[in-house]
Amino acid sequence: MADVPVGTPLAAPLPRPRTLLVGTVFGTAASLMYFAALLGVYLGERSDALSEGGEWIPSSANIQLAPPTVAAWTMLMSVVTMQWAVYSIARDDRAHAIMATALTTLFGLSVVVTTSFQYTDMGLVADESIAAVLIYTISASHLAMIAIGLVFLLLMAFRALAGQYSSRQTDGFVAASIYWYAVVFVYVVIWTAIFVLK
Amino acid sequence: MTLTETNQEAEAVASGDDLRPETEAVASGDDLRPATQSSASQWTPPTGLAGILSTGDHRVIGRLYIVFSLILSGLALIVGMLIGIEQADIDGGFGVFGQANELFQVFGLYRTTLILCGLVPFFLGLATAVIPNQIRASSVAFPRAAAAAFWTWLVGAIAHIAATFSYGGLGSFQADAARGQSVELTVLSLGMIGLGLLAGAGVIFTTLVTQRPSGMDLLQVPAFSWSMLVATGVWLFSLPVLLANLVVSWVDMRGAGTLAFGGGEAPFELVAWAFDAPQVYAWTIPLLGITAEVFTSAHRSSPRLFEPMAFIVGAFGLLSFGAWAQSFFDSADPLADDAHIVTNEVLFAAFALAIAPVVLAYGGWLAFNAYSAGQRPQITPQFALVTLSGALLTAAVVTGVLRVAEPALGVLREADADIWRGFFDAMDDLEGSSLVTGMMNFAVLGGLLAAVAGLFHWAPRLLGRPLNAPLGFLSVLPLAGGAVLVGATDALGGFFDQPARPYEAGDPPYGPGHFDEIDALGFVEALNVIGLIGYIAVLGGLALVALNVARTLAASPGAEADRGGPE
Repeated sequence: MADVPVGTPLAAPLPRPRTLLVGTVFGTAASLMYFAALLGVYLGERSDALSEGGEWIPSSANIQLAPPTVAAWTMLMSVVTMQWAVYSIARDDRAHAIMATALTTLFGLSVVVTTSFQYTDMGLVADESIAAVLIYTISASHLAMIAIGLVFLLLMAFRALAGQYSSRQTDGFVAASIYWYAVVFVYVVIWTAIFVLK
Repeated sequence: MTLTETNQEAEAVASGDDLRPETEAVASGDDLRPATQSSASQWTPPTGLAGILSTGDHRVIGRLYIVFSLILSGLALIVGMLIGIEQADIDGGFGVFGQANELFQVFGLYRTTLILCGLVPFFLGLATAVIPNQIRASSVAFPRAAAAAFWTWLVGAIAHIAATFSYGGLGSFQADAARGQSVELTVLSLGMIGLGLLAGAGVIFTTLVTQRPSGMDLLQVPAFSWSMLVATGVWLFSLPVLLANLVVSWVDMRGAGTLAFGGGEAPFELVAWAFDAPQVYAWTIPLLGITAEVFTSAHRSSPRLFEPMAFIVGAFGLLSFGAWAQSFFDSADPLADDAHIVTNEVLFAAFALAIAPVVLAYGGWLAFNAYSAGQRPQITPQFALVTLSGALLTAAVVTGVLRVAEPALGVLREADADIWRGFFDAMDDLEGSSLVTGMMNFAVLGGLLAAVAGLFHWAPRLLGRPLNAPLGFLSVLPLAGGAVLVGATDALGGFFDQPARPYEAGDPPYGPGHFDEIDALGFVEALNVIGLIGYIAVLGGLALVALNVARTLAASPGAEADRGGPE
């Protein structure tokens, strides 16, 4: 290609590789597959138990629908605040982005608290039934997923505080939001498959 | 300043340090550091063990993967050899294993070590070292994550082997407290292995998607890169399922008593799908990419009709996804003897049958390229290895088709029982026979041969100079011959009703009357002796490859890798 003197219009900027975003999508897809497998086992075992005329969740357990429903609504509210954070950072409104991230973190923490309360309240003994093993495995795995999401959110918030993200570079917040939406989606599925269907 | 320079600058900004700090900064080295950092000249990178432990250099990580996966593959083959010795005398047993439980432990260890500690990390190592160069990137996408993935995998692999030999294993026939803890550690360490491999796959996938230069689309990457993209995509959907199975097992073990997932053989049953069709093919997907590159390189041409080949590899990946074929998605009792048979046999048979024309099409693509090149291939060790690895994969697929022959041809049996009765009788009960082990060995050892071929092919970039060709040819014969013997004897044994699982609960595992259902016991024992020779041969071949690598490294002390060679 022949050299062209200075003054010629610049070539259009090339698209930036969105490494963090793609990596997060990969991790999120892996997490969804993990829960798909767990819920597949759960629903399969539940179906077998019920088709044989047995009980699935032991009658001694007292699983109330209210706490997980509160947690589900809390998670759904966190979708709004998460999107608020992405919207704000895309408009260089760093203060609102950080505030929205803090609110999302708060919602996440409250779900952890609600789940912990439910653990103490439902009277489900972990090693007494297959249902208990699976319910604790799935819900505790989801708590771990929330914890990872919270660390991700806090990391993005601190980076935003340090001035790293702006309307030119929103990948961190978008990546965190994708993961967080997956956290919420998984909880809604858990709420339906475990707590509503019982 | 010229437009060329401004374009270069635009490209540098688009893919440069400020926007890809993790990609660039860690693994690059001094040449990419800003010149203004005068203090950097006073900092000396750690060398020796500290350098290896703290490295983020994708080439070093790739080499580490390859070295340790070679070692662990050798260990897996030794374990296979021990099983082979025991099977050489089915009627009495040679007493290698005092109890059936010990045989059950190494039976699982052979599979986990050969596939998850040998084959898959070998491919990941090649990919980590080679792919950035193939797509003209300076490093992998997340160098520190690549290092973390490697160390997680390695620690998990060592713990897994140690736990199994500490009376652990993926479950046991008898449970007591001490054994339970070792079983727990085995399960946890296998989880670590899976997590490490998943992270490594994520790094390769992200590298391929994001680190290509502008203008290079995914169908323009070399065949090996494409096959790794497909492979990591399939592994992305498989490994989390394996992890979920292991977590369920582990949680169940934590209770006062196990209920369904952690006791007896259940931990192995939960993950057995990963070592069986169709998933076993998924671990070998990169074989197709390596074969394509080596094959066309030997014909001194570039791949023609790349898009059809890419489609074939994609179809192979799709049909090899096997996480659905696990016992807990079956309505039957998961701990029953036939637990690994999914209820929906139609789906199972369909997958096994559908993958056969895909492999046939791939063979056709290779033949077309050979014909189009218009010249005889240059015979190199890697060419011989990929040719034989392709033959082994074909044998695996044919064995897989035979395995499902009974359900697939059941309709014909009903239609015309007289003519085909003899044939169908021979096909009876192949499911659950050692034919299944033969299929796995064909596929996995074929993959191992392809990985070794990749090592020969990219040795100039990996090790700084080519591997010794005569020594390479010397290793081809035992590697390929041994792999054929191992797979073929197991497959043939299946036709004589040799069971896939060479143990029964008891003490000792073998003895008169244990396997009365086996036809022609003496012949099956002779087959098993030949299979044992096959294990020894493959092990010898791997030792020769290791010697070749050591010799090359010793001949070029301090040689910096990445000096030319094929991309």
